[in-house]
Amino acid sequence: MGGYGDVQMLNEDGTRMDGRRPDELRKIEIEVGVVPVADGSARVKWGSNIAIAAVYGPMEAHPRKISRQDRCVLDVRYNMAPFSVTDRIRPGFNRRSREISKVTANALESVVQLELYPRSKIRVEIEIMCAEAGTRCVGLTAASVALADAGIPMTDMVVSVASGKVNGVVILDLNKEEDNYGDADLPMGILPNTGELVFLQMDGDLSPEDFQKAWDYNMGAASEIHEIMVAALAARYGGDD
Amino acid sequence: MSIPLVPGLLRAHLSELAERDERVDGRGRLEGRPLEVEVNPIERAEGSARVRMGDTIVYAGVKFQIMTPYSDRPDQGGLMTSAEIRPIAGRNWEPGPPSEESIELGRVVDRGIRESGCIDVNKLCILPGEKAWQVIIDLHAISDDGNLFDAFALAAIVALRNATLPAERFDVGEDERLELSCTPIMCSYHKVGGRFVYDANGEEELGGDERIHITLGDDGHVHSLQKGLRGAFTSEEFNDIMGAARARREELMQLVESLEQD
Repeated sequence: MGGYGDVQMLNEDGTRMDGRRPDELRKIEIEVGVVPVADGSARVKWGSNIAIAAVYGPMEAHPRKISRQDRCVLDVRYNMAPFSVTDRIRPGFNRRSREISKVTANALESVVQLELYPRSKIRVEIEIMCAEAGTRCVGLTAASVALADAGIPMTDMVVSVASGKVNGVVILDLNKEEDNYGDADLPMGILPNTGELVFLQMDGDLSPEDFQKAWDYNMGAASEIHEIMVAALAARYGGDD
Repeated sequence: MSIPLVPGLLRAHLSELAERDERVDGRGRLEGRPLEVEVNPIERAEGSARVRMGDTIVYAGVKFQIMTPYSDRPDQGGLMTSAEIRPIAGRNWEPGPPSEESIELGRVVDRGIRESGCIDVNKLCILPGEKAWQVIIDLHAISDDGNLFDAFALAAIVALRNATLPAERFDVGEDERLELSCTPIMCSYHKVGGRFVYDANGEEELGGDERIHITLGDDGHVHSLQKGLRGAFTSEEFNDIMGAARARREELMQLVESLEQD
């Protein structure tokens, strides 16, 4: 968190610089089947974020040492394209992308029915093509839809969204400027059918009341995002949601 | 990239098709796949393009950095092209440091652009000996169904032609369009079933032999050539595809010009 609390990020009438209400999401568009050579894929445009996720498998677990007798392993990679941010980033993995890959894998492992595919591997590739703020949430959401597109049995789809705080006000789904000048960030991975959580991070400074509000904003937004995910899958496969 | 086993049946099938002058997907020998180009899809890049050729999909993004000119060329900026084929692009692409294939891809695209002189490196100089622009083209494959070379090269030139120098962000003047003096375009031919075809798909690449990449600039000038993989070809074969490349280059040029943004 930047923590530059003195920069004015809210308008006098309580709306945000981009015109949103405090509890309003950015525009989200999801398209399924965008990587034709993959077994499942999805592109999520969320504000000016663009994440593309592709799924390969289940396939033989390789190298052999990662193989598990009783279940499938999820091989998840989150990566940012060099041109996805204002100052170019050098290609390749860094500590940040490794950590995000790991927590994303842990979230998806909680819903994918791994025991159905012993000694196998499912590859989940997440590429952030354009980054605004909240790329880990966009990537995790895209990966969930891609897994569904690949026909991988899951108990639920993970919906990921973040809330935070700027100028002392709790807001849902921070954009780039709000993220830079905000005081806190609370990304969550929510299972819309049960209300359970499979992904949770937080940094910054939130009072108990603000924390509860941010939590509730995320929970409320999850069903809205879930509808967009389901509609994207229905658009590809037909059926009425 | 892990090299998959080439099924003998596929090679035999491709040879049979070639005898009847047919291709696996029904195209003519010199016919390209349906082509789709999107200009500047990436808001964070200073210039970008998404190219789809059949089931092959790639992005190119242009970024600018301020560099200190090299001491032997104090009044010149720089150009760098880097291709990355991440494992998202197909089941045979693996994570890890850049593979030989992706290094070759980046370098062949780079040569076509660099040697055409379309970017005047002298104009990239801001303050001789101290400050100059470095142009960085990053090529990113999303879906590999063959002929990444042409897809990357086309994405790169479209991204460059629609790129803006972010001078205001670096506090060195006003933003301006990157000027290009010509338009290098690559056309690639693969030997499949004993004869050269244009724009091979994944199956044809897998069951094919050598490939030849030709980059042509304005007025028929040749700027880069590359022969890849195992196989030998005759002068007659080369003349045939060179003629085809000249014709195809003009078609692609019309497409590139029709995409221009204000």
